[in-house]
Amino acid sequence: MVALRQISEQRDFVVSSASLKDVRSFSREVFEKVNIDQDLKDELVLAIAEAAQNIVKHAYQGEDTDDKMEIKISLNNGELEIGFFDKGRPVDEKNVRHRKIDDVKPGGLGTFFIQQIMDAVVFKEGEKPWINHLILTKKINY
Amino acid sequence: MSYKVTEDGDISIVHLDGEIDMDVTEKAKEIIMPLIEAKNEVHLNLKEVQYMDSSGISVLIESHQKANEMGKKVILKDISKSVLKVIMMAKLEQILNLG
Repeated sequence: MVALRQISEQRDFVVSSASLKDVRSFSREVFEKVNIDQDLKDELVLAIAEAAQNIVKHAYQGEDTDDKMEIKISLNNGELEIGFFDKGRPVDEKNVRHRKIDDVKPGGLGTFFIQQIMDAVVFKEGEKPWINHLILTKKINY
Repeated sequence: MSYKVTEDGDISIVHLDGEIDMDVTEKAKEIIMPLIEAKNEVHLNLKEVQYMDSSGISVLIESHQKANEMGKKVILKDISKSVLKVIMMAKLEQILNLG
């Protein structure tokens, strides 16, 4: 298999916790095409799954829906960009923060993991039909 | 996620297998929490857990805290490399009982 240096792949998923395994499968499939070490691939899959989980938990507050979210993974000249698009409640960036890491209690770790793994996390208003557009970026050395 | 529970005296050993994410956390809690109430010590064997996210980590924290409140113990055993990495990322290696 030839490792790719440029990638742009996207897929839709029903907004549901049951979709998270499919989100991971998609992410793993994409990163299999890139020559980066397995530890980094695992971290990126975790960051993507945590962001998708946040859409299910927060943008949709765990409600059942037929809505889909879209995830787009792009790699260009060592710049990895992962876009998340959803039609849930608008995300107020001020409310997106992880709990203090030494305040040990269940919950609030997903955002911390994303910030640990990625270089930048940017929230944007989605262009129609989307409401939210989250962008995670990371410089990849390969 | 699948699981198997074995008993060794007053210790319950839960062998978890597969991927632990938000979709299975309720099931994981339904398995683990009654065992904490019933036994003095619960071992969670994580050898066959290939993936755990923040929801899975929350189950570990909740189990640990419930056991502490009851004067009991939850010990994580045979932790897979991928789970250990997430535990360390959450800076919980000094908080949870790693055996």
